[in-house]
Amino acid sequence: MPTRDFLGEFEHLVLLALLRLSDRAYGVTVRQEIESRTNREVSIGAIYATLDRLQAKGYVKSHLGDPTPERGGRSKRFFRVTSKGVAAVNRSHRALQSMTEGLRIVRSYS
Amino acid sequence: MTSQTPFASPPRIATWLVDLFTPDEQAESIPGDLLEEFSQLASKSGVASARRWYWRQSVKTIAHLIATGFRAAPWTILGAVVAGFLLRRFGSALPEHAIELFFDAFPVFAHNHWRVYVFCVTNGFLIGGLLESILIGCIVAAVSKGREMVATITLAALLVALNVVTLVQVARHWPVHLFIPEIVVFIFGNSIMTVMGGAVVRNARSALSRRASPTRC
Repeated sequence: MPTRDFLGEFEHLVLLALLRLSDRAYGVTVRQEIESRTNREVSIGAIYATLDRLQAKGYVKSHLGDPTPERGGRSKRFFRVTSKGVAAVNRSHRALQSMTEGLRIVRSYS
Repeated sequence: MTSQTPFASPPRIATWLVDLFTPDEQAESIPGDLLEEFSQLASKSGVASARRWYWRQSVKTIAHLIATGFRAAPWTILGAVVAGFLLRRFGSALPEHAIELFFDAFPVFAHNHWRVYVFCVTNGFLIGGLLESILIGCIVAAVSKGREMVATITLAALLVALNVVTLVQVARHWPVHLFIPEIVVFIFGNSIMTVMGGAVVRNARSALSRRASPTRC
């Protein structure tokens, strides 16, 4: 049995949001991207808990931007997906595709 | 409905609570993100709606920060909680001893200030216990750097649970009224003071780190 770490559902969503947002990816934009595309209310705490976990796994990297007045002088923390993270997204995507292939029930529910 | 709200500010208590629970490494990002989105919402949907959103986000974020705190430093938190519990267990009689020692050393004081003496022997132990709880909260917070609130809340929850279990056991054998003020203070007061001690240390550390990086408005 391979010991590779597969992504959880929310980890998968966060990584996809980072890939969509590219260099604009920080807490606010990631949260809004997931919320608008999945129609589920997401807390900023959940986003950062997941991003920290992904960073610990080496799937994302982060850096601090400049402080801005609309944030009370606080900096944005920008995130980007590493090549290891992209490989994890592809792996999960292939696994999902493989599992849903030929299943008519998935289409009938959508 | 849209309104121009350039000076809208988020709920202060919610902001204070988020700051308390946010570890230093996220002190810029999480409160900053909440504030930025609050400002966007306030100008789009109104201040009242934005404040409700801010409270909802704050509560959920704090729950996540507590869970993340446990996962990030379980042994530090466990060690701090055990140390705090032992301090509480073996130091609970200290205020009583201190008051007794004082009046043994200065019996004239008790004689000349009878009202103070009566107050000390009736309420002094309770007040001493509360002060001791703040001190224990400060010690627990000091040793669990970055996870001050998680450690003190865990200790407080443990103390409440143990006190409730003990009182229920006592009440089974000797019927007592569990809602008399002294017992309520005994159950919750010490735990609240322990958490307050954690908040004091956390606030002091936040102030120090803000002074070290004076970029914030």
